[in-house]
Amino acid sequence: QNTVTVSGTVTDASGTPIPGASVIVQNTTNGTSTDFDGNYQIEAASNATLEFRYLGFISQTIAVNGQSTLNVQLAEDTQQLDEVVVIGYGTQRKESVTGSVVSIKGDNLNEVQSANFQQALQGRAAGVNISSTSSRPGAAPQIRIRGTRSLSADNNPLIVLNGIPFSGGLSDINPNDIASLDILKDASATAIYGSRGANGVILITTKSGTKGQKATITYNTYYASKEVFAKFPMMNAAQLIQLRADVAANNGGTPLFGLAGDEYLGNDTDWQDELYKTGLQTAHDVSIQGGTENGSYNVGLGYFKETSVVPGDSFDRYSLRAQIDQNVGKLFRFGLNSVTNFNKTSSIVGIYQTLGASPLLSPYDADGNYLESVRLQTQADDAWIPTRDEVNRIGKGRVNEQLDFGTYNNIYGELQIPWVDGLKYRLNVGLNFRSARDGNFTGQGVFNYNPINPSSASYNSSIQKDYVIENQLIYDKTFGKHQVNFVGLFSSQNTEFDNVGLAVRNVPDETSLWYNLDAALSEDITDYGTGYSATGLLSYMARVLYQFDNRYLLTATVRSDGSSRLAPGRKWVTYPAVSVGWNIANEPFMDKVGWVNQLKLRAGYGETSNQAIAPYSVQGRLGQVNYNFGDTFATGYFVNQLPNPDLGWEFSETYNYGLDFGFFNNRLSGSAEYYITKTNDILLGLGLPSTAGVGSVTSNIGNTENKGLEIALNGIIFDNPDGFSWDVGVNVYTNRNEITSLASGQDRDEGNLWFVGSPINVIFDYERLGLWNESDPGFEYLDQYEPGGNEGMIRVRYTGDFNPDGSPTRVIGADDRIVQDPTPDFLGGFNTRLAYKNFDLNVVGAFQSGGILVSTLYSSSGYLNLLTGRRNNVDVDYWTPSNTDARYPAPGGIQSGDNPKYGSTLGYFDGSYLKVRAMTLGYNFDQSTLKDTWFKSLRLYATVQNPFVLFSPFHDESGLDPETNSGVNADGTRQNVAVNTNNISTGIPTVGANAPTSRNFMLGLNVTF
Amino acid sequence: CTKDIIEEEPRGVFTPEFFSTELGVQGGLTYLYQNLRNVYGFAYFLNLGETGTDEYCAAQSADNNFYDLDLAGQGNLRPESGFSIGTPWGNAFPAINTASGIIENAAAVGLDESLIAEAKFFRAFNYFLLVQTYGGVPLDLGSGELAFNSSAVRTSVRNTVPEVYTRAIFPDLEDAVANLPESPRLTGAVTKNAARLILAKAYLTYGWWLENPNGIPTYPEAPRTDPDGNGPSYYFQQAYNLAVQGINNPGPYRLLDYFYDVHVATNDRHEEMMLYADRTEESQIYNGADLGFSGTENPANTAVWMVTSNYTTISVDGVAAVQREAAQSYGRPWTRMAPPISVFTETFAEKDLDSRYDGTFVTSYRGNWDKGGDPSPTLTAANGLEIAPGDAVVSFLDDYDPAVDYSVNGGNIGGGQIPGRSDYVINLNEINRRFYPGLWKLGTYRTDNGGGLGSPNGAITRPFPIAKFSEFYLVAAEAAVKGATGSFTANDLINVIRARAGMWRFDNGEQQERIEDNSAAMVAATPAVIDIDYVLAERSREYFGEGMRWYDLVRTQKWTEYASSYEIAGNDAADHNPETTNRTIEPYHYLRPIPQGQIDDLNMSEAEKAAYQNPGY
Repeated sequence: QNTVTVSGTVTDASGTPIPGASVIVQNTTNGTSTDFDGNYQIEAASNATLEFRYLGFISQTIAVNGQSTLNVQLAEDTQQLDEVVVIGYGTQRKESVTGSVVSIKGDNLNEVQSANFQQALQGRAAGVNISSTSSRPGAAPQIRIRGTRSLSADNNPLIVLNGIPFSGGLSDINPNDIASLDILKDASATAIYGSRGANGVILITTKSGTKGQKATITYNTYYASKEVFAKFPMMNAAQLIQLRADVAANNGGTPLFGLAGDEYLGNDTDWQDELYKTGLQTAHDVSIQGGTENGSYNVGLGYFKETSVVPGDSFDRYSLRAQIDQNVGKLFRFGLNSVTNFNKTSSIVGIYQTLGASPLLSPYDADGNYLESVRLQTQADDAWIPTRDEVNRIGKGRVNEQLDFGTYNNIYGELQIPWVDGLKYRLNVGLNFRSARDGNFTGQGVFNYNPINPSSASYNSSIQKDYVIENQLIYDKTFGKHQVNFVGLFSSQNTEFDNVGLAVRNVPDETSLWYNLDAALSEDITDYGTGYSATGLLSYMARVLYQFDNRYLLTATVRSDGSSRLAPGRKWVTYPAVSVGWNIANEPFMDKVGWVNQLKLRAGYGETSNQAIAPYSVQGRLGQVNYNFGDTFATGYFVNQLPNPDLGWEFSETYNYGLDFGFFNNRLSGSAEYYITKTNDILLGLGLPSTAGVGSVTSNIGNTENKGLEIALNGIIFDNPDGFSWDVGVNVYTNRNEITSLASGQDRDEGNLWFVGSPINVIFDYERLGLWNESDPGFEYLDQYEPGGNEGMIRVRYTGDFNPDGSPTRVIGADDRIVQDPTPDFLGGFNTRLAYKNFDLNVVGAFQSGGILVSTLYSSSGYLNLLTGRRNNVDVDYWTPSNTDARYPAPGGIQSGDNPKYGSTLGYFDGSYLKVRAMTLGYNFDQSTLKDTWFKSLRLYATVQNPFVLFSPFHDESGLDPETNSGVNADGTRQNVAVNTNNISTGIPTVGANAPTSRNFMLGLNVTF
Repeated sequence: CTKDIIEEEPRGVFTPEFFSTELGVQGGLTYLYQNLRNVYGFAYFLNLGETGTDEYCAAQSADNNFYDLDLAGQGNLRPESGFSIGTPWGNAFPAINTASGIIENAAAVGLDESLIAEAKFFRAFNYFLLVQTYGGVPLDLGSGELAFNSSAVRTSVRNTVPEVYTRAIFPDLEDAVANLPESPRLTGAVTKNAARLILAKAYLTYGWWLENPNGIPTYPEAPRTDPDGNGPSYYFQQAYNLAVQGINNPGPYRLLDYFYDVHVATNDRHEEMMLYADRTEESQIYNGADLGFSGTENPANTAVWMVTSNYTTISVDGVAAVQREAAQSYGRPWTRMAPPISVFTETFAEKDLDSRYDGTFVTSYRGNWDKGGDPSPTLTAANGLEIAPGDAVVSFLDDYDPAVDYSVNGGNIGGGQIPGRSDYVINLNEINRRFYPGLWKLGTYRTDNGGGLGSPNGAITRPFPIAKFSEFYLVAAEAAVKGATGSFTANDLINVIRARAGMWRFDNGEQQERIEDNSAAMVAATPAVIDIDYVLAERSREYFGEGMRWYDLVRTQKWTEYASSYEIAGNDAADHNPETTNRTIEPYHYLRPIPQGQIDDLNMSEAEKAAYQNPGY
């Protein structure tokens, strides 16, 4: 009998190769699967029949008939799950995945058009919590995958862009360039990235062309107009006047702060109206993609611009993407993936002054002309108040320009080893370069109440260079019902960072901005310096994916990492991960259960580790201080960090259990997962007792635990391609985090807000019970609880003992502070799509139930709820003799500092909300309509972003967006507050006095030529 | 090359090896001076040294940092009491360790004996501060007694008070006296005479400790006997001898002619000032704190903000008449600490002959609305009279006037009026926690106001005083009161200080020249027999509000007697009805609690940790 070698490519209807498709000689056990590019090669009798199978596609059988080339196009089986998941160093059919992976297609991601992928990702994936830490354009939110686990090491996930660890700014990636985004959550999935993947991994694959595809041009664009979602709820003139009167009433008839300075009773200025403008968001993306028989390409150009409702805020991004993939001969293939961007960011004015500005002041002079410079006085303050008009007038008097240039490149070559079927070698070289420059200039007296306030200017610049070299050996073969995929890796990575900065005051040459700092006197230098750091990582990794008959699945990984950051002798660590899966639905006994299309149980165990500590922590460090001996300046040194020759890795062990299912022709599908992660030997800047004479040593100390449940459900409620269809997707998840131990058996560390048995992020404060009222039991002891206290003051929980007469044995004090857990009960997101003929309607939203929302707007650190009438105040329901069940205390009552006593407790709200993030109505033009035009496809859509918020007690009270807008600075101080908070963990974002959320109205167009 | 990837080559940071080079050692010395800033000028150290004494109590905007120390029932002094109680503890040990490192490495790098003496001075100075604040403290930081610690040790053993004095403070300071130069190596650097003053004070303090007149407990427990077998009188005499030696060999120091000149900012870093934590307006970097808008964090000098009441609410004719200005009488108001009434009726009862009341406080708040940009040439103030910029808006009366009519609530800050005066007035025995005289001596001073209000929110750029030449006289006088004898009597010594206090050249309250010599009258008013109470009253007049008071009262065990109650009106500016507030000062309060952070960071058993803490906390 004649045997022939048959080869070919298996593609989908659009010509995209299908990797991992089964090619089986019918009625034999002889079979193979297609490689990454859809190619296969098989020996078969010349009269045999080949069967091509791939999950999600309709199987085809084709008789060989002596042919040596059989290219096959498989038609999509819309009833099947067709997802291919990027798992790092390869892809896998979703059906075969044993770890915890969420995959999101670029099209879905971009249902919420935004500046960066994190914003788009919000609410999309169970277990992935995105919280905004700034509402300014270009700001990147914080991502936490399955919670925080490390106390002081980094909790950010690893981002891998086209296979190469990404070190750039998170707004450097144009979300419109993304083809797919895959999130690896559990240790068995992240193990291949070793120490860098301990906090989860986000794999971003940018768009690429496909072989044999005709060149097409795609143009996507949109334009959005941004309006204030809700102004901050500040008092108007009448309310402020009433507040001052009420202060006086509670204060023996004397107001603490009265009408004075430039205040006049006739004014009622809404300073927010004087500041905010309409913002915009727009994007243009053009790409050309195509392919030849042996190669493909995709080149794109993008432009993105966003401004906020606060004048002077802007973010511009120019991006360039290039992808080439080319076969050279039968055995060799090479390619390039390159993403390059240039960003420009500016932010010049804060809004605190606006919010605090008295409505009794006016921006107009007596003749009704706009004041040249809004410098106004109240009784206690000289204020400069930012307005639109003032920002425009100042022009180049205040300039901020942050420029970022980044280029992220992956060059690869792949060689099939000819004498071993299924074996290939791949070399990846990643070359990244990023430079940033930040220029800042404020002219003399600009944006300040003091006209001779010194001018200031600064220039900061940094360069980061990384390279990654990865040698991979890949073996992929199917032996009958056995499928084996092996990846072996050796990689080395190196990152170097350096920076330079200079800041001066009294710039003599104001027109030069920050470009002539040398004109300032040397004693006017307020900051200068250079810095450097370098880190390196060497890794060996091996992974085996094995499956038998599509029923029994195994993934086993082992990885060794060597890090420069750790001590000699403890630099290397090796850890394993293993996970198994059972595709119950593919068992013969399930054949009769027709409504079950997919049912898979997964279980995994893995270890990962974390080395995310500052370089040189092993070596110890000298602190540097400056001093003046009269007019002689000197620099001093002291040991502030001891060397730690034993510094080793931080470990996480994760157990993950999952169930994937698809029922009723996959019209109901989803997954449920439970995980538990224990993190040990946590890297911590361990405080030494003061008596050691040295502040700290970085050490391995402490343990944490994370547990969580994640559920994702997708339903196709109606399914009629020519009529009405309706899909719904929902994800819900929880994460419970707990510190299980701290250094040396200590059970609390108040200074760092770490408490054993509580989450890493906590609020440590008094517990507000309400307000003290005469009718309250125990009111007669008010003075014993609160010396100098008054009716209507905040009542907090007293945790001490009582005397026999019921009076407290001590006054309320610091001992009464308790740990409060801000963790929500559950959170998640939803998306739904309704389509009728050519119309479709998408709604995307997110929700949270329970938890504590912290708003510094209302708390004492914001200085906007002083309740003394000194400045404008948040419009709150405060106590008066005739309004005793108010939430806020009697104005002008007992103070601590400038705020009501226990004012910090006023900033805690129920964190529940449901927010619709985007609603999009789209129209796709018929192919028949487009037939005689240049267009291959044409889609028009209109979106409204942030249309509304429901079920939010905070929103109900304030009208504001319950999503956070402020984080902390690099030094741990909180943003957008007047004074720092020390009762809230730095990991908790807040709603503070930052640019207000906007409601965006967007029109968009997607065209293909 | 791949192996090199995981080898670290530090660049851009110094590792501790740098400390064994000559430049490193010299940098260590600079650090010892800079470290003074973390204590002297730090707002909450002023709180530690003053709140709860007869000099200061909690003011209207106080928070727990102040209530805890006021011991008046609103707070609870405990190991977690904020940064105030932890200031010396947190800052002294790194300085001690660095000093030990310098002393150990000095020989190897060929450091001059006089530089080693500077390191010894600071090691002793810091131990002296610790032992006065907390009782006995550890001499071994982890690598042996008085050795440079290079181990990440998480245990600690406290030595006793006599061990700390006799093994660390005295030997180090004796070496410092022997080897320091007469004149400072750099402006403000320590000298032989500066070492004499600190050593004299250490002898004096140790003498009191041995004597223990009121049976105050010490910790760790130790018998009140000297390991060297000497009694209290020996140490009083040593203190006396050394102080007199310092007076007789002044080196570059002297008593200034006028008390006013000791504190007027234009005269900072003068010959009377022997030790201070320096600051500068010339460079923000070397000042270590923001010149435009500063927080209270170390090493900023913001102490005086705490004792400055919020005068900026003064409003006349609807105009903010007295605005924040970067000038010595104004500055940034935090209203956290207020002087009780007895400061003015007892300590500074004499306000006319003695220039020190006038040279310590802001007694008249003067109009500066013109500098704030208000063009009004005059405003209508008390009795319908006009005042111009520079005129007093609110004044505190030197002498009680029962006729003050407070019903006018003058200046919106509770001022009263008396016939014929255009300024609003307040009797000093009717002040409240909201508005009271500020502390002029430590006030803000800037030269870059350009005729306007300047940058009053920047950290203060003046040096903060630590030790002055005048203290030789008061230390010697105190030792003489305790029985020491020699060429001067206590009266002789006190009268030098009092005679100087009688010299006037400028009236601060009236802001005008005042040439007067009241020395003879001042000396005539000195009692024939000086007792410890009189020395303490003189000390308060001389060093009021500089953070020394708690230490003086604890040394002499007079705290309970002097400070168990105080009188001041309430939190409202219009409240002129003083009330008496009682404090609960227990014997255990004479030692501050060991900060909880220290206890938490110890890797020791609960029993050992409990035993590490001072009893009572």
